[in-house]
Amino acid sequence: MAQALLEQIINGTMMGSIYMLVALGMVLIYGVMHVLNFAHGVLFMVGGYVCHFFFTQVLDSYLLAILGSMAVLSVIGLALERGVFRRLRDNLRMQVIASLGLILVIQNGVIAIWGPNALQMRITTTDIRVPIGELSFTLQHFLIIGTVGVTVTAIWLFLTRTRIGTALRATSQNAEAAQVVGIDANRMYVASFLIGCALAALGGALLGPLFLIFPTMGDLPLLKGLAAIIIGGMGSIPGAIIGGLGIGIVEAVSTLYIPTDFRDTVVFAALIAVLLLRPQGLFGVRVRGEA
Amino acid sequence: MTAMTALTAMTAPRAGRLAIAIVALLALAAPFLLADQPYFLHVLILTMTFAIPAIGLNLLLGYTGLVSLGHMGFAGVGAYTTALLMMDHGWSAVPAMAAGAAAAGVLGVLVGIPCLRLRSHFFIIVTLAVGMILFALFNNLDGITGGAEGLPGVPRPGPLDLGFMVIDFRRLGGFYWFALVVTLFALLVQYLIVRSDFGRSLAAIRQDEILAAARGVNVFAHKLAIFGISTALAGLGGALKVMFLRVAAPLSFELLESINLVLLTIVGGAGYLAGPIIGALVYVAIPEILRFADAWRLVLFGVILVAMTLFAPRGLSGMIEAGWRRLRRGPAVTGEEAADGRPA
Amino acid sequence: MTTMKQITTRATAVAALAALAAMPAFGVSGAMAQETVTLGIVTAQTGPLAAPGRFQMNGFDLAVQAINEAGGFEVDGETYMLDLQVYDTRCNAAEGASAMQRLATVDQVPVVLGELCSPVAAAEAPIAADFGVPLVLTVPTAPNLTEQGNEWLFRVNPNNFQLNEALAAFVAENGWSPLSFIAWNNDAGRGGVNGMRELLPDDVEFGYVGYFNVGEVDFSSHIANIRNEGSEAIMLLMDEEPGALAIRQIRDAGLDAQLVGTLAMGSSRFLDRLNAEYLDGMAQYNAFPPNAPIPRIEEFSALYEAAYGEESHGFAAQSYDGIFVVIAAMQAAGTVSDSAAIRDALAEISWDGVIGPIMFNENNQAEPPVYITQWCDDGTRRILFPDDLAADCGFG
Repeated sequence: MAQALLEQIINGTMMGSIYMLVALGMVLIYGVMHVLNFAHGVLFMVGGYVCHFFFTQVLDSYLLAILGSMAVLSVIGLALERGVFRRLRDNLRMQVIASLGLILVIQNGVIAIWGPNALQMRITTTDIRVPIGELSFTLQHFLIIGTVGVTVTAIWLFLTRTRIGTALRATSQNAEAAQVVGIDANRMYVASFLIGCALAALGGALLGPLFLIFPTMGDLPLLKGLAAIIIGGMGSIPGAIIGGLGIGIVEAVSTLYIPTDFRDTVVFAALIAVLLLRPQGLFGVRVRGEA
Repeated sequence: MTAMTALTAMTAPRAGRLAIAIVALLALAAPFLLADQPYFLHVLILTMTFAIPAIGLNLLLGYTGLVSLGHMGFAGVGAYTTALLMMDHGWSAVPAMAAGAAAAGVLGVLVGIPCLRLRSHFFIIVTLAVGMILFALFNNLDGITGGAEGLPGVPRPGPLDLGFMVIDFRRLGGFYWFALVVTLFALLVQYLIVRSDFGRSLAAIRQDEILAAARGVNVFAHKLAIFGISTALAGLGGALKVMFLRVAAPLSFELLESINLVLLTIVGGAGYLAGPIIGALVYVAIPEILRFADAWRLVLFGVILVAMTLFAPRGLSGMIEAGWRRLRRGPAVTGEEAADGRPA
Repeated sequence: MTTMKQITTRATAVAALAALAAMPAFGVSGAMAQETVTLGIVTAQTGPLAAPGRFQMNGFDLAVQAINEAGGFEVDGETYMLDLQVYDTRCNAAEGASAMQRLATVDQVPVVLGELCSPVAAAEAPIAADFGVPLVLTVPTAPNLTEQGNEWLFRVNPNNFQLNEALAAFVAENGWSPLSFIAWNNDAGRGGVNGMRELLPDDVEFGYVGYFNVGEVDFSSHIANIRNEGSEAIMLLMDEEPGALAIRQIRDAGLDAQLVGTLAMGSSRFLDRLNAEYLDGMAQYNAFPPNAPIPRIEEFSALYEAAYGEESHGFAAQSYDGIFVVIAAMQAAGTVSDSAAIRDALAEISWDGVIGPIMFNENNQAEPPVYITQWCDDGTRRILFPDDLAADCGFG
């Protein structure tokens, strides 16, 4: 049992890292723009596809393919922010509905372009096995954990040590006050969408080679990312980080005790429970005045 | 503000009422017009099975301003309750459907009591989570719901002897009348609610919750009541659907179907009495008859949906109404259109 | 009919087409005007099951091609060409019902074939009965489909119960206990597990049973559980794509249990996704071993490979047979349009198909042979069961 526990903690840390990237992107966008972007999962998926495209058609370097994918998704994010979400500011209902429309557009657009079948992307790190006692993992598992660790640290430093980052955090904590001190809200929107989409692309590009690249690959990360930012407290960046990692580990370990076909049920039941018992989330504070 | 509310309530649904009258007339005559076209009758019935849950969602989304992303899960509760009561306990169709709708409504109230107090973002996510949990139950409880293989052999209502004629609901033509009566019932419920004081209070909540509360509306009680009614209507639609298809399949009640329901309600025109009908016709009947089922169809629907949130948030009904008004009075942008165009 | 039987048990590959043309029953005398018979097809061509849908459709297309290139088929002295009206049902019950309704009343086809998903077939079957059009299933496996007393519904392919029967005996014989499962959380996966529960003898213990939703790709939780329970064997109830992924993850995680699979995992396509090392020793049930040294199978596989450039597939073979069974029923009934007469003829049919002899039992369920094949260390397969058809590596 101890061994199974260790195995699931490592697996859960890997998936949790992915959820962390999704949750971090979503929480930045939500915090700054107050947009709940349900299309974040399909952006994650497109990140996987674009990475695959660059890797197989253009660059033949995994690192460059990842960076290319992040760049492309940043541009897409910019377009969505300008074209759709900025116009729907303060209209929560229509934002949610527009993001559902974007899911339809992007997911089926990918199917129309790349077809419904999954793509495989084998790279060196998925073929190298790392044995730990009786257990064995691919090197990609640790590459994901490491890359996400470095990225999240970098984002944290950016948010706390740079002018733009501080402005982002300020806007996220109190939009009106931020404007009063002269922070340009529109620049903050652009920055949050750029970073959020690039992080989604990174997630898709990291996870794609380990498993498969397919049109619905972003659905579960979206739902778990959503759960993470709620449990972490909407708008709380440390909450999203800990929430994402926590959900990954808890759901992986929970499968040792609960039938796997009810795993998602457990996550969502936990989400509802957190909302009811502690609506501001585990790490949130009651500040945001929103109906 | 009050004047504007009243104005919206009075003028907005007028075109909708006209549309409903036309649709109802055509619908009544359909079995005669389509006597040798059973396929079109089939598509019309299918459209109704989507329209009924959409009516439920419209009361929530269009009239109260609450978004539910799990409505087809509640439809599934109604569907499985009805199917199991008929198949395992020998209930006849009408009481079984009533029980199915009641079960979905009661569940809606039970979910609503704790969750309707949450902020709106959280409530949307809760409905999503509840929908996913319900789907998992339909799919995973093999012993009760038949699991993923579904529950085949859901019966249709027994024949009705009117004295001068017998309507056999097992046949397509007969079932069409049954579906039509259920749909008209749902439309009647919608109409009565929208035209009541209760409905006007809902509109006030939609426009400004804090203001409504200040004016003495018990916001929570109103939301809870409408959520219960809305989920009950979804359950009714689900029950009709499984009776029509004669199989209860979990995939009919998954998240994607719930999202599609939101989509067709918005496209049809949320906040219009005829919105769900128009939405269901556009989303179900037209693609089915034209049979273009590839990925680009859904891309197109997505583009339309996004465009509507940006440029025509009142949906097709709103566009029809604006066009109608322009025809009668010449081009003019009315105050409430500007105010209501982007509901907060 | 006899001539067609001879064909399918004789010539090979391209030669088969030439032979077909030479047969009197198919031969067309010069400029004789021909009518076309259109059969209805319901299948998933988009949606989550588009990939298996393609195999099904290939089988139908291949049958039409074979028949038309041979000059059509003869019923009651008239020669007919064959055509298909295909509707995509996307594994959605409502779309399936609409497609069936349309085929029965708008296109007015005499017979409908196909479907992949059991719940969708369950929505289509009552419409077949309402409008008196036989529906011939070639892939869905839920046993209860043919237990609804619907005399218009036929099934060519073996159902879950039949598939699992052979495998359960084989698992018991080999003492693969405890047996764990990783299964799709859909009709095929859950149905398969329930089938095995009914069929496995008491001395085979049930280990861990894990379900995953279509679209899930991370099997680590299942693997950790299986390792934790110390299972002897793992049965994978899923399609090719997740199957390959699951096996890779199982082996990459260092788990060395006996693998047991489905008919989706006995193909060279499957090998291409992995390699011989991953698959060595894995056993799977199969309704159609594509390389079996049985003439009718050799012939079909060659035909399929020539047409599509890949190894043939059970869904294609079952669907190919479905068309020929229907044509045979038309010939026996002496009509291409009287659905009721064709239905009666189908109920009595005895057809020697690619997948084996096809005869419908009292529930209109055919009972073709089910095989167990096993992967050899060189990336080929052998047939272990049934004993009289056993064949060595390279012939599975």
